[in-house]
Amino acid sequence: MDKILAKKDFPRWLEALGAYDVYAPQLIDDVWNYELATDRKAVSLDYPQTAIPAKKIVFPQREFFFEFREADTDDYKLKELLPEGKPTVIFGVRACEGKAVTLTDLVFGGEIADDYYWKRRNAAVLVGLACASPPSTNCFCLSVNGSPHSKEGLDVLMTDLGDQYYVEILTDKGKKLVSEGGAIFHEAKPPDKKAAEKIHADSEKKLARELKNIKDVPAKLKGMFASPFWDDESMSCIRCGICTYLCPTCHCFDINDEVESQTPLAGRRVRTWDTCQFPDFTMHSSGHNPRPDKAARLRQRINHKFQYFVEVWQNYQCTGCGRCITLCPVGIDIIKVVEKVRDHAN
Amino acid sequence: MRTNVYLPKLAKVISVKEEVGGVRSIKTFRTQFLDGGFTHKCGQCAMLSIFGKGESMISISSSPLVKDYLQFSILKMGRVTSAIHDLEVGSIIGIRGPYGNAFPIESWKGKNILFAGGGIGLAPIWSVLQTTLLRKKDYGDLTLIYGARTSPDIVFKEELADLKSKMKVHLSIDVAEPEWKEFVGFVAQNILDKKPSPENTIAITCGPPIMIKTCIKALSEIGFKDDQIYTTVENKMKCGIGKCGRCNIGRHYVCKDGPVYSWAELRQLPQEY
Repeated sequence: MDKILAKKDFPRWLEALGAYDVYAPQLIDDVWNYELATDRKAVSLDYPQTAIPAKKIVFPQREFFFEFREADTDDYKLKELLPEGKPTVIFGVRACEGKAVTLTDLVFGGEIADDYYWKRRNAAVLVGLACASPPSTNCFCLSVNGSPHSKEGLDVLMTDLGDQYYVEILTDKGKKLVSEGGAIFHEAKPPDKKAAEKIHADSEKKLARELKNIKDVPAKLKGMFASPFWDDESMSCIRCGICTYLCPTCHCFDINDEVESQTPLAGRRVRTWDTCQFPDFTMHSSGHNPRPDKAARLRQRINHKFQYFVEVWQNYQCTGCGRCITLCPVGIDIIKVVEKVRDHAN
Repeated sequence: MRTNVYLPKLAKVISVKEEVGGVRSIKTFRTQFLDGGFTHKCGQCAMLSIFGKGESMISISSSPLVKDYLQFSILKMGRVTSAIHDLEVGSIIGIRGPYGNAFPIESWKGKNILFAGGGIGLAPIWSVLQTTLLRKKDYGDLTLIYGARTSPDIVFKEELADLKSKMKVHLSIDVAEPEWKEFVGFVAQNILDKKPSPENTIAITCGPPIMIKTCIKALSEIGFKDDQIYTTVENKMKCGIGKCGRCNIGRHYVCKDGPVYSWAELRQLPQEY
């Protein structure tokens, strides 16, 4: 059954979640991000789009795989550094970010699962907040099989009804989280449901951007691989990589060793986010580079999201958050690029 | 038991052999796991760790029929392979894998096999060559067409001399040398010169990207069909399990969906290798 939570009781719910690490959008040094809430009473769900999506909590920018230490002249000791998997709740997850996590689940799951990802992922409870109005002027979730109130990937979906939240429990994890709040939750009544549904329906009309008729784009991209189109579109790119670092669905990473002591040799193997927009990303040690220029790298970003991922997983690897548009220093606009692909003469 | 895919198993270097000297040095290493290990298939790769330097994806050149050790022949090139070249007998490294698909050698039983390799490109197909040689009765004629830039750049020199009594071996070097009695020219030219019959034959080619391309063209010219030609591709890799995102050719991750492709499959993919 759906619930109602009075806004004044929201801090009490957070207080009741003593066993969880609580993350919520916070303004720190003028930048909104999902951060650990040290003062739970101060958490508010009145925030714009964060700079970095919620993926950073299940797939951190930097994490250690293991520690290596030279034991004697010819031996090493390896110590696995798996995350402990502490129960974690993320409040204020946007629909596009919840959906994005279902896409990174596909990548990090499968036959050979990524233990580091799943330790955090399985311990994370995602509490979404439906977007009553778009948190960014570049939101276009409706165009890529999403919606401002999508439940995909979320454990709980909250909708702001003014002085109270409409709370939909979507999974067992969500059920447990709500049960921690006890009597502060009330049964939702039919008018509450109606109010939430109206907000959801209205929110769909408020998106400023759209990307129409893209069902043929995957096939179109396949035929445009060798087109000079990519040279033209990538001309202004300054190779900063921000489009991919701040994308909720991008998952590329690097693995390196960091040495902390030379004798005896000791250090840690670290995973960090990486980007297909850097030349080094694909450059062989011989100097040969299969994606040698900006054109090849922009094509990879678009093709991965709108062709390759679709071929493998039958879904766009883009959830329409618009961060790559808002934050691109030179104004490369993924909506415009994909529209041009759509309209490109074969 | 749960296994963490990113945690390498420790292995000891049991032999080191210099194949080629100089700045483009090639060495062959044999390793034994300290504890446990894995079985591989022909064409699969393993991620070698030099702790403090990082990892590098290397094809396993020993046959899966050899159980005592894993063999890797490695060209000294970047940070990790340079560190590998400094290894001595007794050194400890990390190995994880095996990764990738394999040459479908079971389905090639009864067929002739033509191996066409250049430079270090012999290493990835060496496991197939050794395996088919050990099971010679299962296969038809085995032929090797191999070339290097100069005669000192030829790998597996002793093994090749020995191989001549067991199968057809055609060697080449790019530029003439006074003592050189065999073919002078590129591997692709040697293929056109020897004109091996495509009938009931599978051709496997590996080498630098340009050599693979020219060899496939030469093989097609003498009548090999796309599904009779196999190659093994390399791209920069970090994870080995199709997650880190860098080795893709179109929707394929070379580490997981490759590295072995028939030309019929590979020609469908974009040229990003």
